[in-house]
Amino acid sequence: MNIIYSLSAIGISLLIGYVLNVYLTGLPASLYGMIVFALLLHLRIFNAKKIEATIAFLLRNMGICFVPAGVGIITHFEIIKQHGLTLVAIIFVTTFLLLTLVGVLYQRFEDNSKNINNTVSQK
Amino acid sequence: MSILSIELNTLASCLLFSLLTCLVYFSFVELQRRTNKVWLNPLLLAILAVIALLLNFSIDYTEYQQATNVITWLVEPAVVAFGFPLYQQIPAIKSHWKKILLLLSFSCAFVVSISLLLTMFLIAIPEIAVSLSLKSITTAIGITLTEQLHGDSSMTAFAIILAGLFGAVFGIKWLEFIKVTSPRAQGLAIGAASHALGTATISQLSYQHAAFASLALILSAVITALISPMLITQLLTLF
Repeated sequence: MNIIYSLSAIGISLLIGYVLNVYLTGLPASLYGMIVFALLLHLRIFNAKKIEATIAFLLRNMGICFVPAGVGIITHFEIIKQHGLTLVAIIFVTTFLLLTLVGVLYQRFEDNSKNINNTVSQK
Repeated sequence: MSILSIELNTLASCLLFSLLTCLVYFSFVELQRRTNKVWLNPLLLAILAVIALLLNFSIDYTEYQQATNVITWLVEPAVVAFGFPLYQQIPAIKSHWKKILLLLSFSCAFVVSISLLLTMFLIAIPEIAVSLSLKSITTAIGITLTEQLHGDSSMTAFAIILAGLFGAVFGIKWLEFIKVTSPRAQGLAIGAASHALGTATISQLSYQHAAFASLALILSAVITALISPMLITQLLTLF
């Protein structure tokens, strides 16, 4: 029963997402659906307890949805032969830049707020 | 009569290719569960195995793609399902939300721009540049945005998996090396750069790693979805 409840909750959110997409444009319908789903859960219109297990299952196994899209890479044989190494290098470098940026900035923010707390408590 | 046989044929190939894809994917899921190795990523291995099968039996990709449309339709409800972890993160967002939102908005804008510019300078194919600029967010949302911005979904899927693997395998070691030691900072960084793959991997470390990584995963995806249509279109006009 919980499975049907969860799937209907997702279906309803996606439907509202489609309506929002028509009227507001901008974001894809599924993203509006995601935000609607979170809101309806927060407002306790959907019962989170009933949905939890199904969602955990879906999130764990959603990789399967992307296999066909990923396989499409074979239509790019030429690009890969020509630029494969450059592609991997760009992905590698930008991923580590992002890791560094977020990690260092948040760590600095945390250290700063700790120092402020310390000076406040010393006073 | 012939129309009926064609339809039966399509139905049969739909069933065959979809079941085959599931079989391949879930065998690799089982393999990873038993070996517990991050780099044995089921999505990556399943893609490679299906490619090998298609090449071996000289099956055209469009035929495979049409036959597995059923599987691709599931992407939309899968994106919606992310609303659940987002709902779970609402209390965490409340405490430091301004700082975290500001930090992630800046980082997302930075990584989208730098990836797009680097790819345009080095490879100069706009579709590929769009795909690479959307590689730091979770696959479901990355692919949805790629289609909206006329990028190439298969390139995005591939780039996203690689970005996830790099962060999942080397992320913590790199962050320790540059003296980022707080579990919250580590979680946020890996969630932002390596999405669900990184998040799943470091969630075993501690509750704080898991909470901050999934927070960054969700927020980066939403922020990127909000800013990238404008940002990418503007940046592409430079070329």
